[in-house]
Amino acid sequence: MPLAPVDETVAIGDLVRDPYPIYRRMRAETPVVRVPAVKRTFLTKAAYTKMVKDDVVLFSSNDPTTPMEPAFRAHTLMRKDGEEHRRERMAMQKAFTPKVIKTNWAQLYRDITDRYLDRLPRGETVDLYSAICAPVSARILTHILGLDGASDEEMMRWSQQLIDGAGNFAWDPKLFEITDRANEEMDLHIAACAERLRADPDDSALSLMVNAADPIPWSQIVANIKIAIGGGINEPRDAMATILYGLLTNPDQLEEVRRQEAWAAAFEEGIRWVAPIQASSRLVMEDTVIGGIDIPKGDIVMSIQASANRDEDLFHEGEDFRVFRDKNPHQSFGTGPHHCAGAHIARRTVGEIMMPELFERFPDMRLPDPEAIVWHGFGFRGPLSMPVTLN
Amino acid sequence: MVKVTYVAADGTRTEVDAPPGSNVMQTALDNDVDGIVGECGGAMMCATCHCYVDEDWSDATGARRDGEDDMLDCAADEVRPNSRLSCQIRLTEGLDGLVVHLPEEQV
Ligand code: HEM
Ligand code: HEM
Ligand code: FES
Repeated sequence: MPLAPVDETVAIGDLVRDPYPIYRRMRAETPVVRVPAVKRTFLTKAAYTKMVKDDVVLFSSNDPTTPMEPAFRAHTLMRKDGEEHRRERMAMQKAFTPKVIKTNWAQLYRDITDRYLDRLPRGETVDLYSAICAPVSARILTHILGLDGASDEEMMRWSQQLIDGAGNFAWDPKLFEITDRANEEMDLHIAACAERLRADPDDSALSLMVNAADPIPWSQIVANIKIAIGGGINEPRDAMATILYGLLTNPDQLEEVRRQEAWAAAFEEGIRWVAPIQASSRLVMEDTVIGGIDIPKGDIVMSIQASANRDEDLFHEGEDFRVFRDKNPHQSFGTGPHHCAGAHIARRTVGEIMMPELFERFPDMRLPDPEAIVWHGFGFRGPLSMPVTLN
Repeated sequence: MVKVTYVAADGTRTEVDAPPGSNVMQTALDNDVDGIVGECGGAMMCATCHCYVDEDWSDATGARRDGEDDMLDCAADEVRPNSRLSCQIRLTEGLDGLVVHLPEEQV
């Protein structure tokens, strides 16, 4: 079989600005393609992206050469496979179930959302991205994880610093100095919260882990909490901002969503249309073949769910935001053993609580200048602001 | 082939044929049966493939697998004694005629 064709034309800057036309071309012409600018082999068809994530023996998450380990100062579950991965993940999974949210916390999350909405002025244009999407996501996550006492600003800063560190493929020591400081702050706070939760347990992830009959090692409890901080704020924030944009620029769909209370469908379509996490890398463990192309052992493939989500084989008019699709088999939460641990939480908090509350409070809000919204990101993607006129 | 019947929460029945060796989640996806999401592809990590095995088939499908109980706790709908993650039910000739009931919610 031939080796993957090489695409020298693609630069990282183009992907960061707008990867979608590039992915559309790749799906049509070179669905398996080497991209030297990123040093990865891109997989852009839904069948390939799913196959790769489902098969952890052939396509491992355990790539020791990523900057994730120094950034988190830990070997985290995201970079493990097999039994150790399952054990560490299941140690916190039960804090992220729909039942815990419904029975214990739904009212609290409604109250939190209301409190932030109460602060908004009427008749003015407000950046909902920074006023609502980011801090409400942070506040809710603080509760789910058991990190009471951490401020919104701390949570958001830690999250961003972890992400910047884990994405530090240039190995810039200054960035690791920043993550080192953030890690020290988090370590102290997590330890203090653990002590409180040992004396007074609740349903939070940290409480569940420290009070388990057969707990995982402390280092991994801390690592799990940090992964959830890194993965649990920006994605719901970006998802919410994207859905807002989709609905406010498609008033006919918004009206229908309201009428049918189809907020869950709006959530699914928002994260399909612009996946908050656009791609996941995997290390190839043995020589193999994908789509008739030889993929050598040691190669790193990028399973690009952003592209899979618009694959013509699965989606009609996939480039457009259309809430009322017959089926929506997007891969925005990944698939396989590393399928997002927070998927149920994100669906319940953003889809069932935050979006409907916001539109109930400000039924006539408008997006005055959709053209002015800047979209950004290759690994992670979303709008950089969402200035909306509230009524 | 193995015949599988899916009974949706509203009572709609869908009958499909599947090759032995597949599983009840994958068979639903392959045949466009609504009511099973199967988002993690059968890795037992999402609980969006929850089903209730018909009483007549509980012996034939056997006990839950290792770890399945824990993941079932993450299902959106009520968990009952006959609850299973459908990705963990492998189809064999012995399951020809299997009937499973689907919950109202998977996510
Ligand atoms: C709309 C919001 C979200 C999206 C789109 C999203 C997306 C994803 C994706 C694509 C992965 C898979 C990574 C891979 O394949 O390597 C993942 C993993 C993960 N996510 Fe999310 N996520 C969201 C919200 C959350 C929230 C709220 C939490 C925390 C409560 C969370 C916690 C995690 C964890 C812990 C993992 C690692 C799972 C593992 O490796 O086993 N996510 N997420
Ligand atoms: C939860 C904490 C996480 C942090 C702090 C983090 C940070 C990053 C960042 C920013 C990159 C991008 C570097 C590049 O594009 O070259 C990276 C590598 C990668 N990870 Fe993660 N990530 C986390 C979780 C995830 C998850 C859940 C996914 C899901 C796929 C993910 C996706 C990426 C992407 C897109 C890259 C791209 C680079 C590569 O090919 O390795 N990250 N990590
Ligand atoms: S498909 Fe995810 S648990 Fe069965």
